[in-house]
Amino acid sequence: MTLAQAGYKVALIEAGSSISPAKDFHHRLPYQLEFRGMGQPGLLRKHFRGSTEYNYRIMIDDRENPYTTAVDKPFSWSRSRVLGGRTLHWARASDRMSDFEFKAASRDGYGEDWPISYKDVAPYYDRVERFIGVSGAAADLPQFPDGSFLPAMPLNCAETIFKAACGKLGIPVTPRRVAQLTRTLNGRPPCHYCGNCINGCDVNAMFNTVGTTLPPALKTGNVTVLCDSVVSHVLMNEENRASGVRYIERFSQKSFEVSARVVILAGSSLENTRLLLLSQNGGLANSSGVLGHYLMDQVGGAGVTGYLPPLRGSAIRNDDGKAGGLQIPNFNNIGKSRAAKFIRGYGMSASGGAGMFPAFAPSLPGFGSDYKKQVKALYPAYARVWMSGGEMLAQKENFVELDPVVRDKWGIPALKIHCTHSDNDRAVYADFFDRAQEIFHAAKGEITSAKPLMGVPGGLIHEVGTCRMGDDPTKSVLNSFCQTHDVKNLYVFGGGCFVTTGDKHPTLTMMALTARGCDHLIDAVRRSEI
Amino acid sequence: MTRRDANWLIAKAGASVAGQAFLSSWLASAHEMNEGAPAEPDRWINYKPQFFSPEEFAILDRFTTLLIPTDETPGAREAHVAQFIDFIVFSSREYSPETQVEWRKAMDWLRTRHFDEQLMGKMSEPEHEGHHVFQTMKQLAVYGFYTSRIGLIENLEYKGVSYYTSFPACTHPEHRNV
Ligand code: SF4
Repeated sequence: MTLAQAGYKVALIEAGSSISPAKDFHHRLPYQLEFRGMGQPGLLRKHFRGSTEYNYRIMIDDRENPYTTAVDKPFSWSRSRVLGGRTLHWARASDRMSDFEFKAASRDGYGEDWPISYKDVAPYYDRVERFIGVSGAAADLPQFPDGSFLPAMPLNCAETIFKAACGKLGIPVTPRRVAQLTRTLNGRPPCHYCGNCINGCDVNAMFNTVGTTLPPALKTGNVTVLCDSVVSHVLMNEENRASGVRYIERFSQKSFEVSARVVILAGSSLENTRLLLLSQNGGLANSSGVLGHYLMDQVGGAGVTGYLPPLRGSAIRNDDGKAGGLQIPNFNNIGKSRAAKFIRGYGMSASGGAGMFPAFAPSLPGFGSDYKKQVKALYPAYARVWMSGGEMLAQKENFVELDPVVRDKWGIPALKIHCTHSDNDRAVYADFFDRAQEIFHAAKGEITSAKPLMGVPGGLIHEVGTCRMGDDPTKSVLNSFCQTHDVKNLYVFGGGCFVTTGDKHPTLTMMALTARGCDHLIDAVRRSEI
Repeated sequence: MTRRDANWLIAKAGASVAGQAFLSSWLASAHEMNEGAPAEPDRWINYKPQFFSPEEFAILDRFTTLLIPTDETPGAREAHVAQFIDFIVFSSREYSPETQVEWRKAMDWLRTRHFDEQLMGKMSEPEHEGHHVFQTMKQLAVYGFYTSRIGLIENLEYKGVSYYTSFPACTHPEHRNV
């Protein structure tokens, strides 16, 4: 959008199909679906990772787009191939990273600092928030910087109880900050609290690129959208400049080339890296040798669930209508307090109430009329505390490469992913688990399920890194503007540039860094540097 | 009310304070009467079991109605839970054949023991040798019931996936202290 509005002609090349939220997304209750939301038994689990019957058609089919993992190193890579990609069904949490994250290495000595600090990104966080619309409240916490918010969504009963419990423990909380409109913004209507977000918002009240950034971009007349076009290479000329891309038409399998003054990779973190690996032997823009390395997800896993007794048998309300919750920002390793067992930190969320499916019912003992009445009474009292994201340390040995054998449907080599958790990652999860139970106890809740089960890497769908930014070209692929050190007219936007994961959801930071990178690009073109 | 109508209403009426008040009360009454939730497609009335034999289906029907009986509110029978289970197990043939094997075993187990209410009671105890059969069946039956319109809308009174002008805030002072 920024580039088109600055007057540049942009070809937007998308591997998946086109989509129209108004036409393609609907409110649907489970009984309106053939398999009630689970999809044909086995199909989604085997081939459409991380999806549901509601949304699997916009997710990736592993049979067409395989990836491989190293032996005994499972990695869950949940992908979407459609115009708008994962913004169509993301969790919408929009938190700013802070200098506790950008400059973590200086504080605890592990790894590298980012080449930027909070003050470099803050104006871009402002710009992005004002444009996409983030509802939230100021919390005045240095580790959880405030932004330009639309009015926050109110807390429901369970969240109010958890807030009181955290208050007792001295833990600050705030309504979860989400990219959902609480009033009309830039022609987009406010949220109608249907809770359907992860299946796609029919009115664009939540941020997605198709309904938010793409329309103003198209309005300039400067953008050509090419869907169903699978990019296979970045093309280079003799002057070490990117000259365009080659793509394969998805259905005809025919190859085409587009030439350009500047090439921007703006797919997912790992697809961008895959493309760089595909474009040159040993990887394009890889004089540092770190391309593909320092893969991270965030730490997550099973949360703590149970009941809040005061809500037993209470009137049913639209509890999952905002699809948000209470945010418990990280409080570890902040200021002078240092957690003894691990470095870095994690965020938590808490919520409860009458969600769509009574998840506790299958394991609630008994049967018959009593059982049925108990399910009904507990339905509004169900509550959970979960990990919204913990920092997974950047390790060089977590990396991606091209699989020597496996190829996708278009003959393009697939990625092979090597990723495992560190001891610190495990300690972060273990600490979360203790704290979550403590919060539950403080809320006088009854815990029914508390099995510590850490998720496999990739499970949080916050995969970042593999194309890290830095000031030193021998240790990083990108500079702080997401421009490759080696090829001046090649930019890589998205999560690849992350130096650390931090404990925030990554999307807002990706958007802010993209806006910052676009400004840099426009300047560089004006000054004829690229 | 269709989505188009609701959006139009929310856009028009929502623009003014008075309009919003009208809309809230109007939408609230519509929700109370469960008008907001669409009807369940009529797919089970003439459904013929495709996986279970008539004898097995009778056992399945018995199991689901014992699990979630019809009392003051409709139960598994009205929600066609046995039919739903047959459909799911039948549809497992392609990507989840192990599900079919599991259910066939469960049925054999119940048949040879002449399944009845008394056995249901015993199986529901965690120590009982048939408890895993009980749990396997219960899991899918519970899923089938609470994802049906009868289970989700009529029994649980689920309020989501609809149109609201605001999110209901907690109004209970007692929840502010624990
Ligand atoms: S809850 Fe709001 S943002 Fe989410 S899908 Fe519904 S209208 Fe859109």
